[in-house]
Amino acid sequence: MSDILRAKNLYKSFGRKHVLNDFSMSLEEGKVYGLLGKNGEGKTTLIRMIMGIIPCDKGKIHYKESEIKFNHPLYKKEVGYIAEESIFFGWMTIRDLMAFNSSFYSKWNENRAKDLLDRFDLEGRLKIKTLSRGMKLKLGLIVALAAEPELLILDDPTSGMDVPTRHDFLKGIISEILEQGTSILFSSHMVHELEGIIDHLGILHDGKLILEDNFEKVKNNAKKVHLVFDGSVPDGIDIEGMLTKQTDGNKCDLGIYPWSEDVKKGLEALHPTKMDTESMTLEEIFIHFVS
Amino acid sequence: MIKVNTSSFVPIYEQIKKEFKKELFRGDIKPNDPLPSIRDLATELLINPNTVARAYRELEMEGFIYTRKGKGCYVADDSTKHMIEERNSILSQSFDETIRDAKKYGLLPEEIKKLFGERLSVSQEVMEKGEDNE
Repeated sequence: MSDILRAKNLYKSFGRKHVLNDFSMSLEEGKVYGLLGKNGEGKTTLIRMIMGIIPCDKGKIHYKESEIKFNHPLYKKEVGYIAEESIFFGWMTIRDLMAFNSSFYSKWNENRAKDLLDRFDLEGRLKIKTLSRGMKLKLGLIVALAAEPELLILDDPTSGMDVPTRHDFLKGIISEILEQGTSILFSSHMVHELEGIIDHLGILHDGKLILEDNFEKVKNNAKKVHLVFDGSVPDGIDIEGMLTKQTDGNKCDLGIYPWSEDVKKGLEALHPTKMDTESMTLEEIFIHFVS
Repeated sequence: MIKVNTSSFVPIYEQIKKEFKKELFRGDIKPNDPLPSIRDLATELLINPNTVARAYRELEMEGFIYTRKGKGCYVADDSTKHMIEERNSILSQSFDETIRDAKKYGLLPEEIKKLFGERLSVSQEVMEKGEDNE
C-alpha cells in the first residue's frame, strides 16, 4: 500500500514560539490515522498546513505523488476537511449551501448529498443561522462527504459536542469507511472516540511526532510495570524505552514503550522481589507519553 | 448482543470473536442464523468496519460461520461441533497441566482419578447448595 499523505521535516514558528519542530508523518491509503495531542500542541496548525491554508517555514507535504504548496487549489477538491468550527454563511439555506459547494468540487455527488441530508435528518429549507452547533457539524460532514473525497481530514470536529451528536458523527465516519474506503486523518484530544476506529496512531508533543505506529502494535508494546524491592528502590533506574518513573518507598512504577524481552531482562537484573506488568489503555499511553 | 470494550487491552476483533462464541455456546444463536451485518455492528459499536470484517473473516476460517454472496454471514452448520472441539482442547490443556503437577507429587493414575472424583463431587455439592439458597 502506498501513502496518500506524507509530511516531512516540517517547521513552523509563530514569532518565537516553535509550534512544529521537525515534524514528519505518513498516512497509508485506506487507513484511519488518529493524531492525538494536547490542546495547543499544534494539531490545528499542522492540519492548516496540510490543507494549504497557511505556509510552513520549512519541510515538504506530499499528497499522493504531488507536493502540496501553500494555497494549492487543485488538491482541496480531492480532500474533505472538517474544522473545529466550520464557517458557513448564516443567511444561506442548507439547499443554497449545497448548490454553492457543488460548484467547487469536480466530483460533487448530488444524490449522495441528498441521502446524507436524509440520514442526518436535515431539511434543505432550513436557514443555517437557525442551526445548532451539532447540526452545523453534521452539515460540515455532509458537505465534505458529498464531494467524494479520497482523503478526509478531521480537526477535532466533535470537540464540545454532546454525546448523541458525537455518536451520529462517528456513525457517519464509519459508513464512509465502509462505503468508500476513504483514508482519514483524525485529529482529536478525545481518546475514547479514536480508540475504536483508528488503524494507526500518532502522538504530537513538543512540535514532534513522539510516537507513530500501527495502533494494535502500540497497544501490545506499551506496558506499565510495578516493581517491589527488598529495601529501597535502586538509584538511577534507566531502562530503554522508559517513559515515566514514579518511586514510592520500596515500590516503583514505570511506563515503558516499546516493551521487549531485553527490557524485561534488564528489569529482572535489578532483582525486584515482585514484578507485575500490565498493558495500557490508549488514555494511559497518551498520558505516559506527554507527561 | 455483542458487546465490546474499546478501552480494553484485548484487541476488539478478538472480543467480537469471543462474544460470538459465547452466544453460540449459550444457544442464543443457532446454525444458519444470520449475523449482524458489518455495517450494523460497526455503527452500533462505533468501531472501524474493517475490525468487524477481520473478526468475521477469522470466524469463517475457523469454520464457525459462512458467507452467502451478497447476503452476509451465517452461523455454520457444524459451528457447535467446532465449539465443542475448541472447548475440549482448552479443557484438555488445563487437565494436562494438573496431571503433570500431580505426577510431580508422585501420584499414581488411580490416585489422580480418585482425587478428581472427590473434587467433582465437592463442586457438585456446592452447586446444589447454591441452588437451594436461591
